[in-house]
Amino acid sequence: MSNDSVSNLMKGHMESLAKEGKRADGRGINEYREVKIETGMINTAEGSAMVHLGKTKVLCGIKMLIGTPYGDSPRSGTMMTTTELAPLADQSFDPGPPREKSIELSRVVDRGIRESRMIDFESLCIEEGEKVWTVFIDLHILDNNGNLFDCCTLAAAAALSNTMIPNVQHGVSDKDVKLAVTCWPISCTFGKLGDSVILDPTSEEESVMTARFTVAHDENGNLRAAQKGMNGAFGNDEIKEAVKTARASDNVLREALKGIQG
Amino acid sequence: MSEESSVTSNRKLVLPGDLMETKSKPGKGIFRSEGRIHSSVVGYSNDKSGYINVNAIAGRYSPKVGDKIIAICVETGPSIWRMDIGASFNSTLHHSESSWKVPFGDTARFLAIGDAIWAEIFMVDAAGSHQISLKKDDSRKLYSGTIVKVNPTNVPRVIGKQGSMISLIRENTSTRIQIGQNGYIWIDGKGEDIALAQEAIETINREATSEGLTKKIEKLLEK
Amino acid sequence: MAGQTDIELIKNGIRMDGRKPDELREVKIVAGVLDNADGSCYLEWGNNKVYAGVFGPMECHPRHKQKADRAIVQARYTMAPFSVNDRKRPGLDRRSSEISYIVSQAFEKVVMVEEFPKASIRVDMQVVEAHAGTRCAAMTAASVALADAGIPMRDMIPACASGKVNDVVVLDLNKEEDNYGQADLPLAIIPSTGEVVLLQLDGHLTPEEFELALELATSGCMDLYKKMRIALENSYGGKA
Repeated sequence: MSNDSVSNLMKGHMESLAKEGKRADGRGINEYREVKIETGMINTAEGSAMVHLGKTKVLCGIKMLIGTPYGDSPRSGTMMTTTELAPLADQSFDPGPPREKSIELSRVVDRGIRESRMIDFESLCIEEGEKVWTVFIDLHILDNNGNLFDCCTLAAAAALSNTMIPNVQHGVSDKDVKLAVTCWPISCTFGKLGDSVILDPTSEEESVMTARFTVAHDENGNLRAAQKGMNGAFGNDEIKEAVKTARASDNVLREALKGIQG
Repeated sequence: MSEESSVTSNRKLVLPGDLMETKSKPGKGIFRSEGRIHSSVVGYSNDKSGYINVNAIAGRYSPKVGDKIIAICVETGPSIWRMDIGASFNSTLHHSESSWKVPFGDTARFLAIGDAIWAEIFMVDAAGSHQISLKKDDSRKLYSGTIVKVNPTNVPRVIGKQGSMISLIRENTSTRIQIGQNGYIWIDGKGEDIALAQEAIETINREATSEGLTKKIEKLLEK
Repeated sequence: MAGQTDIELIKNGIRMDGRKPDELREVKIVAGVLDNADGSCYLEWGNNKVYAGVFGPMECHPRHKQKADRAIVQARYTMAPFSVNDRKRPGLDRRSSEISYIVSQAFEKVVMVEEFPKASIRVDMQVVEAHAGTRCAAMTAASVALADAGIPMRDMIPACASGKVNDVVVLDLNKEEDNYGQADLPLAIIPSTGEVVLLQLDGHLTPEEFELALELATSGCMDLYKKMRIALENSYGGKA
């Protein structure tokens, strides 16, 4: 459905359900929607993945090109993340250059991947100070039904995990090798709905919630990135509780990621 | 509430541009070209009482005078409200079509953004704009419950033959339900009863063309 | 078009990918793949992969583009950065803008725009993998998405290219043929009338070859049209 007006009745109903630990779609407040991950569908990309989180669909393609390193880290490869909020994904996505919303999303996903050291950047050095690999993570949002943050992080992680470094095409060596992945960052996003905090909000829930909180953990349970968004606020205890819930709930997504490594 | 047959298997699916073999006059979902009649949409044709129609299988709500609808306020003006009814354009509710005495500029006190009403389409003009009235029959502001949105072309499926589907849901969930022709549906009752009715209605919307839908809904409601 | 080349693209009447001159690459069309869009389509054509999504009719933004007596079709064609071997910069370039513009105009011929004054019908085409012929793939997918959205139309428009390689007129150029061939002619038609709604050409064709290429592309369009019908019938579980 493309009409996104939300009545105060829907808001009240969703808030009162959440108070009892329930959701309009039958989930509990700390439950993820069904996750499905497919990989390797884009032949022109060095790595690719499509993630379905409920009805939200994100396609991620990885490209690797040779670039120059930053002056202060001559032996480190570089990384860049972009998100395309494709107009076909949501009536409210305007055609045109990226807006703040898309830039925030790119940067939060980027931080989760970068700070977890999922990619060993030193392994991407070809010639110190001169030539390093640049990893482009391009995320294409095809269907927006809420929680793009977690769906994008998952798509990026899944695509990176099946990326081949194109050594042959770029004359670096005579063999393409798998991009080494050292760990798995997982982000969990919460919404404040009335007096309750819910995990993995749908777009309907997003339209009535007042604040958003995203936290990314590595597989050792350590925090790697976080972001509070929207113009509402969380209590200190709510934040602490959400971080705990994230650690307890992110195994659903970890299992889905393990599934693709076969 | 209009009643349409929900059996799809023995009717013929037509696509945009398809030539219709008929002697009837063109109705809706039809265009005429060089004296011949074609379908303009994906849908099922219906050729009776001298008119041929193609009932579109998809598409936004197209307002018709007399339709009972649910509308959600999206904007307030000094003497009007702009209402979302799921059509291509928002509808207008003029204060004179409400039962309230609204002082100029004070519309939001009666109907604020996000408030919902059960109302009727009372005017549609050739340029596609439309107005609704809150004065007819049981029209009113809705104060409790929730609203579920379905594809307007699936409204006959939600109602069922002689209202069988909606009665099934009402009886098994002890809820009050009113179905707008625009696909916006109001459900009132206890929180968990509303949730179950909503799940049933969303299932019908998602699987409107599949067979054995009634059985599936019966099973879902046993929970 | 690189023009004359030493590369042998056709040998004994068989092309490098095993096709005959008048053969299409394999095409797969699925309607209704996206939940949010009013109508949608996923299409694979050879290795091309395209999503199309439609919203509308709805209020036209920006307002100054509104037409008092009809709707406008706002088509947008873009290629994902990872859709080609060398990463493409995100966003609209001059090529994408031109394609978006001529595709919008082609659809305004078949969509019953006069039924929706002041409205906009937004057609978004996302190429996620590109191997020559993406504008035709995108347009064909967009036609199916428009039908899936319930938009009234006089017909659906299939699009297909023909061209010339090694002095032979062939249907539906693949990547190598597009790179090293002598001509490329994308075409979109209205099947019920045979009218041409989109035609571009670059390369070199004799007048005789042009007529042949036009005929070949037209027959390719008609083949595609059948596949579009089947996709919609499968989606709605009926038989047309």
